[in-house]
Amino acid sequence: MSTGTAKTDVLQGTLDLMVLRTLETMGPQHGFGLAKRIQQISEGMLDLNQGTLYPALLRLEQRGWVRSSWGASESNRRAKFYELTRAGRRQIERESQDWERTVALMARFLRPAGPAE
Amino acid sequence: MSAIWKRLLAFFRGARLDRDLDEEIAAHLAMQEEEFRQKGMTAAEARAAARREFGGVAQTAEIYRERRGLPWLETAAKDVRYALRGLGRNRGFSAAAVLSLALGIGANTAIFSMYHALLLQRLPVRHPEQLVTLYRTGGWGRGFSSYPLYREIRQRGDLFSAVLGRSSVDKLLFRAGRGDRFEKAQVEAVTGNYFLALGVSPAFGRLFTDDDDRTPKGHPFAVLSYDFWKRRFGGDPAVLGQAVTVDKDHLTVIGVAARGFRGVDVDHHPDLWEPASMEDVDFANASSNWLWILARRRPGVPVSKVQAAIDVLFQQHLAAIYGNQPNAAFRKTAMNQHIEVREGGAGLSGLRDGFAVPLTILMAAVGLVLLASCANVANLLLARGAARQKEIAVRLSLGATRMRLMRQALIESLLLALAGSAIGILLAWWGEQGLLQFLPASSGDPFDATPNLTVLAFAIAIAVFAAALFGLAPAWRSSAIHAAECLKSGGPSGARHHSAFRQVLVVAQVAFSVMLVALAGLFGHSLAALRSVDLGFYNQKLVAFSLEMPMSWKAGQTTAVREEFLARMQSLPGVSLVSFGAPGPFLGGWSQGALRVPGSEATAHEPAWVSKQEIAPRFFDILGSAPLLGREFTPSDTATAPQVAIVNQAFVRAFLPGDAHPLNRVLTFDNKTFVPIVGVVHDIPHQGLREKIAPTVYVPIAQSPTFFGAVLLRAGQSGESLLPAIRREVEKLGPDVSASDPKTIRQEIDESIFQDRLVATVGGFFGLLALLLAAIGLYGVMAYSAARRAREIGIRIAMGAKRGAVLWMVLRGSLLLVIAGLAIGVPVSLIAARKVAPVLFGIRADDSITFVSTAGVLLAVGLAAAFLPARRAASLEPMRVLRQE
Repeated sequence: MSTGTAKTDVLQGTLDLMVLRTLETMGPQHGFGLAKRIQQISEGMLDLNQGTLYPALLRLEQRGWVRSSWGASESNRRAKFYELTRAGRRQIERESQDWERTVALMARFLRPAGPAE
Repeated sequence: MSAIWKRLLAFFRGARLDRDLDEEIAAHLAMQEEEFRQKGMTAAEARAAARREFGGVAQTAEIYRERRGLPWLETAAKDVRYALRGLGRNRGFSAAAVLSLALGIGANTAIFSMYHALLLQRLPVRHPEQLVTLYRTGGWGRGFSSYPLYREIRQRGDLFSAVLGRSSVDKLLFRAGRGDRFEKAQVEAVTGNYFLALGVSPAFGRLFTDDDDRTPKGHPFAVLSYDFWKRRFGGDPAVLGQAVTVDKDHLTVIGVAARGFRGVDVDHHPDLWEPASMEDVDFANASSNWLWILARRRPGVPVSKVQAAIDVLFQQHLAAIYGNQPNAAFRKTAMNQHIEVREGGAGLSGLRDGFAVPLTILMAAVGLVLLASCANVANLLLARGAARQKEIAVRLSLGATRMRLMRQALIESLLLALAGSAIGILLAWWGEQGLLQFLPASSGDPFDATPNLTVLAFAIAIAVFAAALFGLAPAWRSSAIHAAECLKSGGPSGARHHSAFRQVLVVAQVAFSVMLVALAGLFGHSLAALRSVDLGFYNQKLVAFSLEMPMSWKAGQTTAVREEFLARMQSLPGVSLVSFGAPGPFLGGWSQGALRVPGSEATAHEPAWVSKQEIAPRFFDILGSAPLLGREFTPSDTATAPQVAIVNQAFVRAFLPGDAHPLNRVLTFDNKTFVPIVGVVHDIPHQGLREKIAPTVYVPIAQSPTFFGAVLLRAGQSGESLLPAIRREVEKLGPDVSASDPKTIRQEIDESIFQDRLVATVGGFFGLLALLLAAIGLYGVMAYSAARRAREIGIRIAMGAKRGAVLWMVLRGSLLLVIAGLAIGVPVSLIAARKVAPVLFGIRADDSITFVSTAGVLLAVGLAAAFLPARRAASLEPMRVLRQE
């Protein structure tokens, strides 16, 4: 069940996987922490409004890949923490394979094409 | 799936989740702010930077919310609230719309529930579509066949996988235990394979098999219907093995049939079944027709093939029995019989046979009523849409999409329709009770009193259909406005367009009304023609009831019991005169005799079959029909007196045409005894007002005893007040004698034409309804257009136009609409009228009186509806109107 146009789908898909992977490596995390971490890893290559994260998190939660609970942050502030579910882990596997396949495929097309850009 | 579930949940917990989200975003911003401050920003800078980093807080929340809940459901809920508020503000409009829809939907639901019960509902049996009924036509009654014929048809395994037979459902004396009082129960005698062939299983116990139906009087068993078991035995399982008495037979209950199975006769539901072998009949007699045959077609054998095969089989069957019959007239009648193979999946229904056509016509008529009320509501919506143009323009310019506005308008229509259907269902229930009043008791009880899911679904479906019908166009129209222009000019744009569309609607409404009024007129005129049939007698207040004694009684016994009973009737207080006739007037019975009239051409070669009545003295006196010639029977026409006969006018026309002295003639039933004709009487349509009057011969009952007939009373009071006394006297004759409830001849006649009365009454009601709706529509359009033209009219008056001319101008507008409606409606009605021709009596389908008066009525309605707006226009004060601008 996907919503939106094909273009946003790709974007959504990438963001979803980023969030899931980040949660996998970091463990339970609140939205701000996630946003910061994603920005760090992407090293500025990604122009992302932090706010965009929240609808994505909601979507993941609705699909049962993450679950959330209220807890206290490092600075002892009430915050909502997200963690990966078992279904979420399986999803990462599936998505990663898909990505690898897509990347490999695109690589074949791009290699003999010669002058890139 | 779970995502939808979570969204649905979120929809109902919206407020709390909103708070959660706000808090989460606030926490996020606070953490970011803190981080920026630690990097050295001032509080204000950190705050702004945090927000920049986050992006639009409100947008995020909105996207989040949309993602979270079910946005369409939320907006739909908003639209419903908005529509309800709007409808609440316009109480008059809402009431008018709901009421006219309620009438339309109610009329449809009422007729449909009857239509469904009688014509659509299938029997609760296995593969009902395979069932056929073998309907016998020709001499000696209809429908039922003989046992020998049943046995022959049963051999045809190539056509049928099963063939079953059943008697009529008869009210018989029933007693549960020896000590109990007798009561009446509906009993159906069935062949042993009845339940198996239909595929009906027992609720418990067992049902009949072929082994329960082998030797006459050898299988004293009974199966109860589920309803009867619940009602009479309180659902007690101990009923198995209980002895019950039916008529004179002692039967043992062996089982209860499946719940919901009420036999194959839609009009009469058996309380219990007994094996056919328990019937008091001669199973070898091929002329005794008492068994109705149903069969299950083999898959792949079409009805047409069955019909062809049965035609051959039946003609061979008849030839074998009657081929050598010496009496040529009898042979001719006997051979002229046929079997119609009919679809049987919906069961048998005598009511359906006669009522299907009128009911189908009514179904079409209520469809028109619904269309008329939809047109009416559409018109109301358009009028309101015109009044609300400004509001809509504002909403459009504030960014509402046209889709949204249309959806809102449609939701409003749907609400109106649903409210209309809720009231309509109540109206339907009430209306159906009224309709059932028309049905004579003898037509049984085919209509379930319990609400039916199919009927409810139908009511709601037509409500939705109606909403789309009346809502779509106005929704489209009223949202199609140029917001800026409308706001600028301050007045409605496209008004001309609007009113043209409304005029089209009104013309359609008039056309529907023309059809309904014409139909009602045809039915009314036909009923009047039936009513004016010459009955041949005057005393319609005469009270009559049928009396039936066991067929097994000897002639002497029946005569003695009858004479004694009639004497007791004569002594009842208030009864001034008593007579007797068999079959009697208008009681649906029938009797025939073959006779010759010596010297008449018509019976020179073979005897003729005539209708025969056995009557007691003073039969014509009590009817109020003095003999035209000669005398009627007297007490001196006893069994031993010389035989005499009375004939009717039709008899004279048929056998003694032009004979000025029929009293000099004789007739003979057996070619040995020659019976003088002692009287000629008026034609009396005993077989029904619609039937051609048959040549009839009356003979003294003393000379031709019979076990049944009609008791006739001339009484000071009504049949109902005599009922207890009559019941008492009948009971004294013992449990073997039964009597029907007394009714006046007038009631009997009314019941015999109940279909005509029902169709005329209901049709008339629908006609009036349609007229009312058309009048409302015309009034609305004329009032609107007169108001819109107020300025023009004001100028005309100021320029010296006569007020009469103004009046006429508005009236003429209305008349033109009516004439346009007539131009469409009359030709269509003429075509439709051809379809109803079979149920009309005495008038043609293009009956000129009906169509001329229909046109007249509609023109009058057009004038009446436009009169108020016209007078208002004619009395305009030009100065006031012009100053207003």
